Amino acid sequence: MNVSIQPALKSLQTAALIAVVAVVGIFVGYFIDFLITDNPEVSAPEQPIAFSHKIHAGDNEIPCQYCHTEARRSPSAGVPSVNKCMGCHNEVATESPLIRQVSEYWENKEPIPWVKVHDLPDFVHFTHKRHVQAGIACQTCHGPVETMDKISVHSRNNDGPTLLASTTGEIMNSETSAVAATQNDHWEMGLCLNCHKQHDVVDGKAVRVDDGGFDNGLDCWTCHK
Amino acid sequence: MSFLDRITEGWRKNRKPGYYEDFDYHWAMTIDLDQCSGCGACVTACQAENNLPIVGEDAFTKGREIKWLRIEHYWEGEYPDVKLNVIPMMCQHCDSAPCETVCPVSATYHNQDGLNTQIYNRCIGTRSCAVYCPYEVRYFNYNDHTWESPLDQQLNPDVSVREKGVMEKCTFCIQRIRQAKDNAKDDGRRRVRDGEVQPACVQTCPSKAMVFGDRNDPQSQVSQSLNDPRSYKVLDELNTNSSVVYLKKVEAEG
Repeated sequence: MNVSIQPALKSLQTAALIAVVAVVGIFVGYFIDFLITDNPEVSAPEQPIAFSHKIHAGDNEIPCQYCHTEARRSPSAGVPSVNKCMGCHNEVATESPLIRQVSEYWENKEPIPWVKVHDLPDFVHFTHKRHVQAGIACQTCHGPVETMDKISVHSRNNDGPTLLASTTGEIMNSETSAVAATQNDHWEMGLCLNCHKQHDVVDGKAVRVDDGGFDNGLDCWTCHK
Repeated sequence: MSFLDRITEGWRKNRKPGYYEDFDYHWAMTIDLDQCSGCGACVTACQAENNLPIVGEDAFTKGREIKWLRIEHYWEGEYPDVKLNVIPMMCQHCDSAPCETVCPVSATYHNQDGLNTQIYNRCIGTRSCAVYCPYEVRYFNYNDHTWESPLDQQLNPDVSVREKGVMEKCTFCIQRIRQAKDNAKDDGRRRVRDGEVQPACVQTCPSKAMVFGDRNDPQSQVSQSLNDPRSYKVLDELNTNSSVVYLKKVEAEG
């Protein structure tokens, strides 16, 4: 009996073609995904009023906690009320068009719908209170806000929880300053964990240590919830 | 130090006798079955505190309901001389927990407070822990659960809403423990005072059958309660060394 293997080869050819296309597709897909997800994009949402941190915190050297008063006593740093804005702007730059917008909200008795820029995923527990009281500078995580006209973070262009703090990389401490430096740390678990690994808490202040980190600070449930 | 040495050292540390007594805190609970009437208030409190979903009729009939704390019913005797025994059953926070050793991704582990904890983000849903748990107190999310408005407004922001494919269980209301520690730091205290932290079930119990506290502190209410001659641990013969201790019901002889 004469049996040809041609039909079998034919189907093999098709299978091989599919395999090649699949493999190439996987690589191309991975590359595209890599392009999209690993390329940080600056995220700087439009705010209802073009508020400049550079003018306030930079040029006029207003301390962060003058407006973000809740940072040292609550988990959330808080956004100042319109009342706080008007406290100064009753007198300062009242004729500027931007300040007129503020006074409009004030007169209408409406809060300003600020857009949150630095946001943590819902499964993360973070308290500003503990960190501010330990003497960690705001810029450690938030970057050089005092130089920003518009607050921005580098975010990954996916729906994942990753944000990239647009810091110069300096992890700062109000006492020792320049503690660790990693260029463009992602605003994700590594940023928290690196700092927790390198610091100990002595008399309620964060102090740099070479190894160990502080008691209980490396437990998953310190940050996760 | 070589990699192997580091592993050996870590192993020795964990094998050290009395390692579990070295904890900063050692949270424990006692449940007095003499006072427990099985009313189920703790079950409801747990549901509200920890964002537990109502799974619905279909899932319920498949045995997929999620209750971190449940009241188990044991009937004794024959009609008309029947007697109901109840026992609230939640994660026993075993110090030698069978579930911890089997997790392939270390999503469940023992923390420095003597708690058996579960990290939802890390869990990949193999369900091996539930298989190994002798108390059957681990619950798996077979579905994504949603809360219709306005019920979503009552979700506890300190507890994440677990998604499909994640194992969950009683945490001894770890968010409250964390909050109590935070308050202690604010007051300049190093330690949490006895009675300062109560899980939702303990807080709700109308007959005060449940007592929660730090076992390391010999003066704490729970330590006193542990010395009660009626105290026993469920399935103690399995050597799980659990942190939940029951006080036996006192019954009339005969």
